[in-house]
Amino acid sequence: MNGRLLDNALRLIGLTMIGTIICFLLTPIVVTVIMAFDARAYLGPLPPPALSFRWFEQFFSDDYFLRGLKTSVLLAVLSVSISVSVGVATAVAVERADFAGKEMLISLFLSPLLVPPVVTGFALLLFLSHLGLIDGFARLFCGHIIITAPYTIRATLAGLAGIDRSLTEAALSLGANERRAFWDVTFPLARTSIVSGAIFAFAVSMDDVAVSIMLTDANTYTLPVALISSMRANFDLSIAAASVMLMLVTLGLILILEKFVGLNRVIGEGVFRS
Amino acid sequence: MLHLTRRQVLKSCAAAAAVTSFSSALGLVRPAMAATEITAVEWGGDVVNAMKKIAEKQDKVQVNWVLHQGGSGAILPKIKAIWPRAEYDYVAGWEGSFSGMIKEDWLVPVTAATVPNLADIPQKIIVKNAKNEWMAVPRAVGGIYFAYRKDISPIEVKSIDDLFDPRLKGKICWPGPTQSMMLQLVALALHTGGNETNMDPGWDLMKKLAQSGNIGRIAVTDTDFTTSLTSGETVAGFYSEPQLTAVAKSFPVVRLTKQQGMPTFLYQSGFAVFKNRPNLEATLAFINHCISPDMSSLYAEIAGEAPLNVKAKTPDSLKHLAFTPEEMDTYVYVPDFNVVLSQQGAWTKRWENDIAPLL
Amino acid sequence: MKPGRGSLPLLLPAGAVFLGFFFLPMAGLFIESFRLYVPGSIGSAADAPFTLNNYAELLTPSFAGFFLETLRISVLASLAGLIFSFPLAYWITRRFSARWRMIAVGLFVTLMFLSVLVRTYALELTFGAVGPLRPLLLSLGISPNGRTYIEILVGAGLLHYIVPVATLTLLGTIQNVDPRLFDAAQALGAPGWKAHLNITLPLCMRGLLAAFLFAFTFSISAFVIPMILGKGRVLFISNLIYNRFSEIADYPSGAAISMVLFFVALSIVYVTSQQVAKRWTS
Repeated sequence: MNGRLLDNALRLIGLTMIGTIICFLLTPIVVTVIMAFDARAYLGPLPPPALSFRWFEQFFSDDYFLRGLKTSVLLAVLSVSISVSVGVATAVAVERADFAGKEMLISLFLSPLLVPPVVTGFALLLFLSHLGLIDGFARLFCGHIIITAPYTIRATLAGLAGIDRSLTEAALSLGANERRAFWDVTFPLARTSIVSGAIFAFAVSMDDVAVSIMLTDANTYTLPVALISSMRANFDLSIAAASVMLMLVTLGLILILEKFVGLNRVIGEGVFRS
Repeated sequence: MLHLTRRQVLKSCAAAAAVTSFSSALGLVRPAMAATEITAVEWGGDVVNAMKKIAEKQDKVQVNWVLHQGGSGAILPKIKAIWPRAEYDYVAGWEGSFSGMIKEDWLVPVTAATVPNLADIPQKIIVKNAKNEWMAVPRAVGGIYFAYRKDISPIEVKSIDDLFDPRLKGKICWPGPTQSMMLQLVALALHTGGNETNMDPGWDLMKKLAQSGNIGRIAVTDTDFTTSLTSGETVAGFYSEPQLTAVAKSFPVVRLTKQQGMPTFLYQSGFAVFKNRPNLEATLAFINHCISPDMSSLYAEIAGEAPLNVKAKTPDSLKHLAFTPEEMDTYVYVPDFNVVLSQQGAWTKRWENDIAPLL
Repeated sequence: MKPGRGSLPLLLPAGAVFLGFFFLPMAGLFIESFRLYVPGSIGSAADAPFTLNNYAELLTPSFAGFFLETLRISVLASLAGLIFSFPLAYWITRRFSARWRMIAVGLFVTLMFLSVLVRTYALELTFGAVGPLRPLLLSLGISPNGRTYIEILVGAGLLHYIVPVATLTLLGTIQNVDPRLFDAAQALGAPGWKAHLNITLPLCMRGLLAAFLFAFTFSISAFVIPMILGKGRVLFISNLIYNRFSEIADYPSGAAISMVLFFVALSIVYVTSQQVAKRWTS
C-alpha cells in the first residue's frame, strides 16, 4: 500500500470530518438565534412565520430574571475564582508528587461529575442543613465550587502533563528556585489549559440548573433557575433570548481581549508556536 | 491521604458563614419587611400572574412570591432538610404534593372559622388527614383527561381503542411515571374492566400500547407535553389542565372530558398552610380573600383552572370542566386517592421494569 | 527530580472542598440508601430502620438494560468526541493562522455559553421528528421516530457538548508537542499517518485521556439531553434517579441507584486513567 496515497485519503477524510462537525456545532447557534426572535408564543416547528423582539422585551421587563442574573454572575465569578485557585494548586501538587494511589486520587477529584447534579445538590442540601447553613447564597456558593473544581483540576492536569519536564529542570539548573521555575516556565505553558478550564467552569456555573434548584432559598436564585421556574407549562423563549445575549457578551469579551491583550497571550500558545 | 481535622472542617464552615454575611452585605438577602409580609410558593406563568392580580386587590398582606422550580415535588426535600426553619407561609400544591406534607406533619388544619369562605366550597373535595381535619384550602379544579390537536391529528379520537390506530404511529404523547399520579394507567385499567385496586388489565393494555409504536414521546415535565404538542411532534395523548391551557391559546384542541369510554379525572389546586410560621393569621386571611367568589372567578379566568367556590363564575373557556351532576357520574371517575398515592412508587418501578424497555 | 514533599500542603484546599462539599454529603446519601422507605412519605423517617431492599430491587434485567444503555451511549459519544476533536484541534494548532485560530477558539468558547436547555431544544427542532431534515431522513429510509435514530440523537446531543470542550483541552496538549519530532519521522521516510500514530498520538495520550474523561463523566450524568432528545424513551440512569427525587420523593431508592452509578463510573474512570498512565507515561 502506498503510504502517501493513504495519507492523502486520510487527510481528505479528516477535512470532511472537520467540515461536518463545524456545521453540526454551528447549527444550534443559528437555530437558537431564530428561536430568540420567534414571534410565536410557543415552541413551534422551524422556520417561524414571523420575527419579533418580544422575548428580549420580556426578559428585561422582568425583575425576577434580572435578580437571577445578578446572583448568577456574582456566584460564577466567586466560585470560579476559588475553584481555579484550588484546581491549579491541586494539579501542581499531584503532578509533582509521586506516590502510590496517585491515579486513584486524580479519579476521586473527578468524582463529583459522576453523579447526576440533582444528586450532588440533594446530598449537599442535607449536609449543609445538618450544619445549620441555610442561607441560599452560601449554599449555592458551596455547590458551584464543587461542580466546577473537577473541571479546573482536570484541565490544569492536562496542561501540566504536556509540558516537558526537562524545561523546568533547565530552569532549575540555571539557578531558578522551584517557585520561580513554576511561575516563569510551567505556568505560562499550562496557561491554555488553565484558562480553558476556567472558562468551562464559568460556563458550567452560569448554566447549572440541577444543583442550584436544590440550593436556592426564597430570595436567592440563579438566572437559569428563574428562567425554568417562570414556565409552568408553556415553553418561554426568553431562555433563548437570554442565551443569545450571553453568547453575545462572551463574544464581546473575546473581542475586547483580542484587541487589548491578544487572545493568544491570554490562552497561551504553547512551546512550539513560531 | 486526605486527612482533615475537626478544626479544618470548622474553618470551612466559618468561611461559609463569612459568605453569608458577605451576601447580605451585597443586598442579595432582602431586609425583613413589615410584619404582614408573607412568603408564598406558587407556580410560574399564568398562575402567579393571576395570584399577583388577586394580591393587588387587598392591602393587608404583602406577598413575597417564590416560584416552584420544576414540579411541585421539587420543594419538598428543601423544606424537609431545614424543617422547622422553612420560610414559606403557604405552598401552592395539589393532592399529590399535599399528602406528603400531611404525613410529615407540616401543615395547619383549616376550618370554616379560620377561613370563612370555605363554607362555599364543596366539602367533599377538601383534603383531610387521618383525624378527618381539613388540611388544605382548595381554590380551583383542573382536569386530567385525553385530548388531541384537531388541526393535525390524522384521525378523530373517540375512544381509547383509537389510540392503537396505525395512523397515530409515533403521534401519541404519553405521561411518564411521575406525571398525573399515574391516572393514565387507571384510565387504561377502567377501559379493560379494572380499577385502581385491580390494575393488571391496565398494565396489559399499557404494554400493548407501548408495543404498538404509537407512543412518540414519554413526557416527564409539563413543558414536555406542551412543546411536543405545539411543535407537532405528537398530536394526541393524556394531559393535565395547565398543559392544554397553554396549547389551546394557539391551537384548536379537542378536550375529551365528556366522551363515553374515556374517563376524566379531576385534581385540585390549593393552598397548604405551614404551621411553623409567625404570620399564620395574615396568611389565612389572605387565602380567605383568594377563594372569595370574585377572586375565584378572576383566578379561573387568568390561570385556566375552574373555580370551586359555588358562587363564582366559570368562564366560557372552561366549559369543558363544568359538569352537571349526571355528567359528573358518567364521565368523571374519582379514584380512591389513598390507594393511588400510596402506589406511586410501586407503579413507577413497575413502569420501569415492564413498560420502559418496550418503548 | 525527587517528589516534592513540600507540595503536599497544596492539596489541602482541595481536600477541604471535596471532603466538605462532596464526600461527607455523599456519605450522608450512602446512609440514606440503606433506609427503609414508607410509600407516600417524603424521604425516609429520621429513625427509619436499615434495609438492603433499595439495592435488592435493582437486581432486574430492565435496570441492567438501562445501565448498559447509559454506558454504551456515553462511551460511544465520548469516543466519537475524541475522533472528531483530535483532527480539529490538530488542524487549528498546526494549520490555522493566528487570526483563524482566534476565530475558532472564540467559537468554541461562545458555544460553551449556549444554555444546555436551549441547545437541546434547538437540536430537537432541527434533527427531531418535525425538523427540516425529516423528508431527507424518510427518503433514506430512516424513521425519525425509530429507537436507533433516537439513540443516535441523544449521542449527537452529548457530542455537541463534548466536541468544544475536548477540542479546547486538546489544543493545550497538541501545541506542547514538538512538531519537529513529526517532521523528523517523515524525513526518515515514514508516511504521515504512521508518524502520527507512532509520535503525535502517544505524546498526546494524557490530553486525550483528559478529554475522554471530561466527555465520559459529562455524558454519564447527563440529564436534560436524554430527557429531551431521548423523548422519555431512551432513559439514562440519571433520569431514573430523577423520577425518585421528584414527585415520588423515594430518596432512599434514588440514593441507592446513585451509589451504584457512582461506584461503577468511578471504577471505569480509575481503570482507564491507570491503564493510560501505565502505558504512556514516559
